Amino acid sequence: MTTTIVLQQAINGVVLGSLYVLVALGLTLIYGVLVQINFAHADFVTLGAFAAYFLMHLVGAGYIVSIGFAFVVGAVLGWLINASIFTPLRRKGNELLPLIATIGVSVMMQNLMLAWFGPIPYAFETKYSSEVIRFAGIFVSWQNVIIIAVSSVTIALLYAFMKFTFLGKALRAVSQDRETAGLMGINPNQLIMLTFIIASALAGMAGAMLAPVLVLTPFAGTSVIVKAFAIVIIGGFGNVEGTILAGLIVGLVESYTTQYLDPGLIDIVVFGLLLLMLAIKPTGLISERREENV
Amino acid sequence: MNTGFRALFVGVAAISLLTIGHAAHAQDKTIKIGALFPMSGPGSYFGAQDKQGVELALEQLNKNGVNGYKFAVQYEDSSCGPLPATQAAKRLIEQFKPDVIIGEECSDATLAVMPIVDQAKVPLLNAGSSSIKVTEPGNPWTFRIMPNEVMQGINLADNAYKRLNARNAVLLFENTNAGIGNAQVFKDTFTKLGGKVLAEIGFGRDVNDFTSIATRVAGLGKIDVIPTYTLEGQGLKITQALAQAGVTKGGGGDAIQIGTIWLPFGFEQKAGKAALGYIRIVQFDPTETRDAVKNFSTAFKAKYNADPTHLNAHAYDQIMLIADVVKRGGKDAQSIRDGLAATKNYSGVTGSVEFDKTNQNTKMDTVHYMETKPDMSWTSLKWN
Repeated sequence: MTTTIVLQQAINGVVLGSLYVLVALGLTLIYGVLVQINFAHADFVTLGAFAAYFLMHLVGAGYIVSIGFAFVVGAVLGWLINASIFTPLRRKGNELLPLIATIGVSVMMQNLMLAWFGPIPYAFETKYSSEVIRFAGIFVSWQNVIIIAVSSVTIALLYAFMKFTFLGKALRAVSQDRETAGLMGINPNQLIMLTFIIASALAGMAGAMLAPVLVLTPFAGTSVIVKAFAIVIIGGFGNVEGTILAGLIVGLVESYTTQYLDPGLIDIVVFGLLLLMLAIKPTGLISERREENV
Repeated sequence: MNTGFRALFVGVAAISLLTIGHAAHAQDKTIKIGALFPMSGPGSYFGAQDKQGVELALEQLNKNGVNGYKFAVQYEDSSCGPLPATQAAKRLIEQFKPDVIIGEECSDATLAVMPIVDQAKVPLLNAGSSSIKVTEPGNPWTFRIMPNEVMQGINLADNAYKRLNARNAVLLFENTNAGIGNAQVFKDTFTKLGGKVLAEIGFGRDVNDFTSIATRVAGLGKIDVIPTYTLEGQGLKITQALAQAGVTKGGGGDAIQIGTIWLPFGFEQKAGKAALGYIRIVQFDPTETRDAVKNFSTAFKAKYNADPTHLNAHAYDQIMLIADVVKRGGKDAQSIRDGLAATKNYSGVTGSVEFDKTNQNTKMDTVHYMETKPDMSWTSLKWN
């Protein structure tokens, strides 16, 4: 029984960690390239969740299609907001302005969603939520299988994009030294736009994956974003590999804290880990030179 | 015109003017009601449904007024939390200057507001907070029409032990005054009766994934009942996770989830088959045959094209009870407070109201039980 529980909690932790990773990757990408925290990231997650919900319930689309739709909605919104708000502010040369603007965008998006969707929690059910695979005392819902599969593929594709494609290499060049990258013929503004689009698309997709897990309200994303920030710090600011590792660790820590300590202690343990990391290894789990993070 | 006729004319004119003036003044008289409801955050479903009940009551009362008074409500978002609730209460008292305040729903928020209304000497009529601290040891300005956590908890534990033959329980609750208090009362009563509490699992409101908690519960052996104290959103996820883990009836297990007045009607439709067999206390039973209930249900459906929930009902009752006090002479904060305290056997749509010396409603007919059926509808258990 004990082994079964340990294994079951490991699966639970990996599922939760995968979701955290998807949310945190967008944050870490933006930080890696712009050295900027995007406080509106949580609301892209929420909007992705609602986009998937309404595609399924109004159009009758399948869940997998709705995940792709949330990805596209996130990307379009990321492009729109970056082009209309953040880029003009960045041109003014004051780094504080776009940072504050992310807070403004967050409040605006939350209240718009509150006005559109109302405050009452939505039940985001998919046919995969209630279908459970049971073997040797272990249970996994098909929903969780999809979460692990889609997260793994997304993370692998993102990793390959960053390491092996021209655009990925260009992103890394911009994060190393924006001015020098510009002198090499790379347009930093286009790369910043690309970063926003990828990060927002990931957030939208994470929303669609989280929606059956989360309590879906206009404030849904805010409940995971604090953990995502912690994961970015534990993993190492702007470090993709570190973020993936930290996300999985936090997911597992939550599961085992629930099992062997108390779920009421989850935040104490996770943020204790964060403080410990800041004290012992402030550069995060996988430390690289800051310029090479992305 | 002789002097006598002139005097008569002036006298009649003066009386007429006085009467007209008085009538006009009476029409202008308004009882100002401040409403502290959670309109944002995880408890915002309370506020949305409370507002519907309040608006229906206002529509009915303001057609003719009560004792020459009309009723006006100012809503403030108190967000189910102590800090926003205190800010909202201060705004209400300073700017709107209410004669009476209704709300909040969440105990932590109500407890935070109580010293403020006490200082301002404005009565607070509560219908949704269950923490015993709201009325113990008692506050002259705070009244509660809802059965408190002790009344509900003792009744629930008693019914679990005697009617459901439950002997083993696992307690799931949010780490708030109400969550901890409700769980504690159940535990005390259930263990006194001879039952055993296998685990007490508390969690914060930021927990989203309950699979790990369900896994832990599944590893605890034979469980008969799982008293659960959370808001709707987390409640949905807990119910689904427990079913996935095969613990509850909805997932093929034996355990029955039970609970007190936390969840709105419609919960079972959202939770799906995972909610099968869920037994919980609600504050309003629309299947009651009393005229008050039938009339309310009809009027609500006509206005909103939906069936009323217990949140709609208890908000409606709050306003109607204030109107009853005004009918009995209430006209300002002090007289409304005194009128509330003197309430005897008031019959509302949720049940009867009569306050004890701590201003707690003593009537247990506001406690109704419902059970989720296989088709996700529910049935009234008529246990009280």
